[in-house]
Amino acid sequence: MAKIFLDGKPVEVAEGTTVFKAAQQAGIAIPHFCYHPAFVPEGSCRLCLVEIEGSPKLELSCSTVVREGMKVSTQSPTVREARRGVLEFILAEHPLDCPICDKAGECKLQDYYQDYGLTESVFREFKEKREKKVRIGDKLILDRERCVLCTRCVRFLAEITKTHELGLFERGIHAEIGGYENEPVRNGYSGNLVDLCPVGAITDTDFRFKTRPWFLTKGESICPLCSRGCNIYIDYHPGFPRVPGSAKVYRIRPRTNDAVNGPWICDHGRYGFIDLQQKNRCQTLVWNKGERTAEWSWDKVLITIGERVKALRENGKTNRISLILTTWLTNEELFLIKKIFKDGLGVRNVFFADPAPGPEDGFLLRSERTPNRRGAREMGFDLKAPDLNALVPDTDILFIFGPHFAGISHDGAWKPALEKIPVKILVTSHLNELASTADFVLPAAFLAEKNGTLTNADGRVQKIAAIARACFDIRPESQILLDLAREIRLDDSYFGALSAPEAVHHELVKEIPFFGALP
Amino acid sequence: MLKALGYFVELLRGIWITTRHFVVNMWFHTLNLFGIKTKRKGAVTIQYPEQKKDLAARHRSLHRLMKREDGKPRCVACMLCVTVCPSECIVIEATEDPDPEIQKYPSTFVIDLNRCCFCGFCVEACPEDAIRMDTAKIDLAQTSHDALIFGLDKLLK
Ligand code: SF4
Ligand code: SF4
Ligand code: SF4
Ligand code: SF4
Ligand code: FES
Repeated sequence: MAKIFLDGKPVEVAEGTTVFKAAQQAGIAIPHFCYHPAFVPEGSCRLCLVEIEGSPKLELSCSTVVREGMKVSTQSPTVREARRGVLEFILAEHPLDCPICDKAGECKLQDYYQDYGLTESVFREFKEKREKKVRIGDKLILDRERCVLCTRCVRFLAEITKTHELGLFERGIHAEIGGYENEPVRNGYSGNLVDLCPVGAITDTDFRFKTRPWFLTKGESICPLCSRGCNIYIDYHPGFPRVPGSAKVYRIRPRTNDAVNGPWICDHGRYGFIDLQQKNRCQTLVWNKGERTAEWSWDKVLITIGERVKALRENGKTNRISLILTTWLTNEELFLIKKIFKDGLGVRNVFFADPAPGPEDGFLLRSERTPNRRGAREMGFDLKAPDLNALVPDTDILFIFGPHFAGISHDGAWKPALEKIPVKILVTSHLNELASTADFVLPAAFLAEKNGTLTNADGRVQKIAAIARACFDIRPESQILLDLAREIRLDDSYFGALSAPEAVHHELVKEIPFFGALP
Repeated sequence: MLKALGYFVELLRGIWITTRHFVVNMWFHTLNLFGIKTKRKGAVTIQYPEQKKDLAARHRSLHRLMKREDGKPRCVACMLCVTVCPSECIVIEATEDPDPEIQKYPSTFVIDLNRCCFCGFCVEACPEDAIRMDTAKIDLAQTSHDALIFGLDKLLK
């Protein structure tokens, strides 16, 4: 341990820490562009200057290692003057784009100008013109005027993805970021460049111009596109009062968690999530009666389904109920299914239909493409794929959760097979051919629209929250399940108590302590 | 009983006010008639809408969007007017402009006058002087809500 003095305050830090990190630990923010905790410090932006007693010049805090007894001042007039000078040079070459720049509102340069600069421009010449729309990747656009040459993007591609697509070319005023022979940035993590860039120089076509950051509310959640369970922020727009459908998720960003994903997420999750939240959503409650398709109220449909189940129960034939589940379901929903169907009704035919596993990339993306397979396994479910031969003859009522059953290739055999089952109930957030075969289609919430927990492949139980509000009448699966339990009069006192928020999770932890380890 | 008395008191007050205005205005009109100049003039009723008063230079009326020389909207879709609008009645969708020099332009620009309170904040927020409220159109009443939703076509006229 070394003892140093930061602005006169004694601080104990580990040997070998940089002054920047020591200050960060002590809660002192030092402005910076090029430093990023995931990379080796480069020391190119010169904004992190601090004054160290006994040293003739200002030093870079990001790359200076602490010495015993070092006296550092991070806010002295000399330091502030130096930072102002650095900012003035950057701004001499920076366009006045803030009103149309996607970064405005969360831009480091704006923040630091506010904190240190507030200088009148003394630059009377014309600013250098540079290209403003350079395609550097499938979704990435580079604006060379806005770039402050911090080389974070270059170092990300060199140190993290090791794909080296971008580099710093030319020197002095001509220096610019570019690709080698205009090769595009093409790796599974390119979206991170947008978050990484401290200014609005790199933007992605998915978010570019769509809205302004200050309209968005951010919520903490978990990426549902693979079993890694990366921590994310969901940036959600609450919408305009008179524009239907204007409330939606605009952007997914990584939320730093060193135990899971560090500061990154993959493109599959980042761009896949928004499609999932918005496309092919199941919006209406449907009851298919032969030729007639009718829209119904939730109460009526739940009573009808309850009556069918009750009829089986009175004849002692509840083992003729079968389930096809998905691991899009949260731990709590799987637990309710277990309590109602397995323990309560003695259902034995339980299958899981999940999207086909995809390729793993050795970094974050895993081959299991749903978020909660581990949770289902820990719950005691056997994750076997649907077996039509075992399913069809033994089933009077089939509950299908999630849309993935149709994607599983039985060479289309599922369709005639399903038609032989008298009652098929589909609870889904997304629509596909399954909906036309099912008797009841109940629109359910997608993962951004409900509360619960998910278990990632390493057994971490992580929270998701209802951040977005769907523009149509959906219900979370947990509510549907509890309503159903009430309709069929299954252990009223037990399930009645579970309708309070968090109650299901408490009950789950009481029964299976594995799920108690909420980080 | 007391309530009924209050009614008559108010009635008499009303008659008194009307009479006072009539007499005062008559007095100034009469003086005027005999060529006596006074500082104050008698009130005259304007026959609106046949007859219209001139609007003040700083008045706020129906919005319009300004055009560039080539006829495209001057608006750069920065959404600052959307941000400042207290009635949340402006909706803009921005699109990439094919011109490499221009970043984005509004492909949709809607002002919902049903909600607009004519505060003029949008005009003040605009960094491009792209939106103005100087059309002098103040008779905006319509018989349906839809007719009060103004899109790009109407605003650019
Ligand atoms: S990068 Fe930051 S400072 Fe530069 S134009 Fe964008 S918001 Fe403004
Ligand atoms: S594009 Fe962004 S991240 Fe890359 S050097 Fe320029 S400012 Fe830094
Ligand atoms: S005048 Fe006021 S209420 Fe109307 S659009 Fe402009 S900012 Fe909104
Ligand atoms: S503030 Fe002006 S330039 Fe910006 S979106 Fe509104 S009208 Fe267009
Ligand atoms: S952060 Fe230290 S020089 Fe850039």
